[in-house]
Amino acid sequence: MTKSSFEFAEMHWLMDVLQSIDVGLVILDRDYKIQLWNGFMENHSGLRPDEVHDKPLFESFRDIPETWFRQKAEPVFELKTRTFTIWEQRPYLFKFKNYRPITGRASTMYQNSSMIPLESIDGSVKHICLIIYDVTDIAVNQEDLTKANGNLAYLSQTDSLTELFNRGFWEEEFQREHKRCIRSHNPSSLVMFDIDHFKKVNDTYGHQAGDEVIRTVASVVRQTARQTDICGRYGGEEFTILLVDTDAAAAAQFAERLRKKIAAITVKTDDHEINFTISSGVAEFSAGFTKHTQWIEAADKALYHAKENGRNKTTVYQGK
Amino acid sequence: MGATAMTAISEDQRDCYQEITNVAMGQAADRLARLLDVYVILPIPKVNMISASELHMALADTTVNDDVSAVCQGFIGSGIAGEALLVFNDASFSDLASLMNYKGPLDRHGELELLMDVSSVLIGACIHGIGEQLEISFNQGHPVVLGQHCHVDDLVKSGNHQWSQTLAIEIHYEIENVNISCDLLLLFTEDSVAKINQQVDYLLD
Amino acid sequence: MALPVLICDDSSFARKQMKRALPDGWEIDLTFACNGVEGVEAIRQGKGEVVFLDLTMPEMDGYGVLEMIRKEDLPAMVIVVSGDIQPDAQERVKKLGAMAFIKKPIDKEKATQILTEFGILSEAE
Repeated sequence: MTKSSFEFAEMHWLMDVLQSIDVGLVILDRDYKIQLWNGFMENHSGLRPDEVHDKPLFESFRDIPETWFRQKAEPVFELKTRTFTIWEQRPYLFKFKNYRPITGRASTMYQNSSMIPLESIDGSVKHICLIIYDVTDIAVNQEDLTKANGNLAYLSQTDSLTELFNRGFWEEEFQREHKRCIRSHNPSSLVMFDIDHFKKVNDTYGHQAGDEVIRTVASVVRQTARQTDICGRYGGEEFTILLVDTDAAAAAQFAERLRKKIAAITVKTDDHEINFTISSGVAEFSAGFTKHTQWIEAADKALYHAKENGRNKTTVYQGK
Repeated sequence: MGATAMTAISEDQRDCYQEITNVAMGQAADRLARLLDVYVILPIPKVNMISASELHMALADTTVNDDVSAVCQGFIGSGIAGEALLVFNDASFSDLASLMNYKGPLDRHGELELLMDVSSVLIGACIHGIGEQLEISFNQGHPVVLGQHCHVDDLVKSGNHQWSQTLAIEIHYEIENVNISCDLLLLFTEDSVAKINQQVDYLLD
Repeated sequence: MALPVLICDDSSFARKQMKRALPDGWEIDLTFACNGVEGVEAIRQGKGEVVFLDLTMPEMDGYGVLEMIRKEDLPAMVIVVSGDIQPDAQERVKKLGAMAFIKKPIDKEKATQILTEFGILSEAE
């Protein structure tokens, strides 16, 4: 073979490879008009190269959000950097069917994409190359994993009876909020309460009735607390609620609301109707609480006080 | 110390890495400055051989208690391989959104968009700049999100690493007059270090 | 008499690279400084009629050196050689009195061009 015929053959091979490679290749000019459209793109889109050639990308593919796409592509033209998009940002750029339409679990193809600058002889970038990767399997697996991990995390964080946070996780969240309070000096308050004479409930009506009482209390807590409040089951019949951005007075009102609601409820078992009450201690964050345990102790002290003073009461911690 | 000899870099080599990084990060900062129309404050980069456990310390140094989001991207060329890690302080996103003229809601998804945009520019330019000076053209893998709104400890799982040492280049970027800061870590594999040292010695010669 | 030229950069590699980029056969008296403080001192001693100055340095950075030169009215023509190539950095050093700005990495071609442009290096050399 002569040198030029060899070069020609090499060109031909390269074109063949571009056509049959299992990755999407698109070349766009400065006006986002399609200049190259390889076999992958043709086969998945059903559009032949001559049907899209010199047509603006956004005209042929109305699914592609133009502003978003331009924001990713302009730095490629202007700053000559590569940019990347991943399926987590946007599941796909081109709406193609899943490559495995029968056994696959996603209906559309998940895609990652890269945009690379193509320099012309004068050093400026007049064209960019868009590369499309099929990442459906990775994305589906990752989403399964995230869901499974999410379930696991939920299980390890919640108390199974009440579905409130368990003590361990509640304390973690509480410590985080404690640190935030130290930094920001926002008034957050801790409410600690327990069910009065709970042991008697258990002894008289049995553990199942006791569980039902605890479940009922938890559901009142959920209905009364705000989304941002951090509610946990601290011990057997003991509960803790951290009220974010709430001072002692507002927290006491909250505790009173909770107390009245619970006092008005009757839990019915097969043979009995059970009424019960709670006692609460409230402690607002104070700069003196350098450790999170000091804050808990303060609320516990107030709770003790409420018990001492006849139960079915709310007491606010008053410093020493 | 274990049976294998620890790879080390000499003072001259460290100095050379620092200077090469300095130039590359300057090029990256220039692109970011043009993209956001700001001035990026450039510090002197830190260059060290570190062990797997020290990587955690290096990461922990990047932020104090705050939540972070991070992206990593692999690169390889001429037998030199590594990963770039961009760690963003979550407090940076609101200022970043206004500089980027980002109009959508600043939720997890919105933050991911911003994270990807900035990491494309910073990582790409930095890797390219280093490659250019060492006369290596690096291929870049696709970026992977290591985590959003997580603690820096959770970014890189400890234990079970297939490496014991890495050449780490740490760059702390800050933007003047706004609350944006991020850290770029360039980590080269242990077996790359000998090769990259060769390139550097060639420059030092 | 040989022209006193100062290279001020904290990186020994960068100093070496700068020295290598200087035109061949240029008759000069070359001094090195590792930071801004050393740099200013050398200029005071008349060792830096032409200064190649880095910006990012410990002790005193390049901006600091430019300010000192202006404050003490020292006779130095400063060419900033920097990795920080942001438009803002270029503008700042020009405002502080730098004669020219060269992007790192420096090479012989760029150095020669700047030196010729400002008449420091005559065509003959």
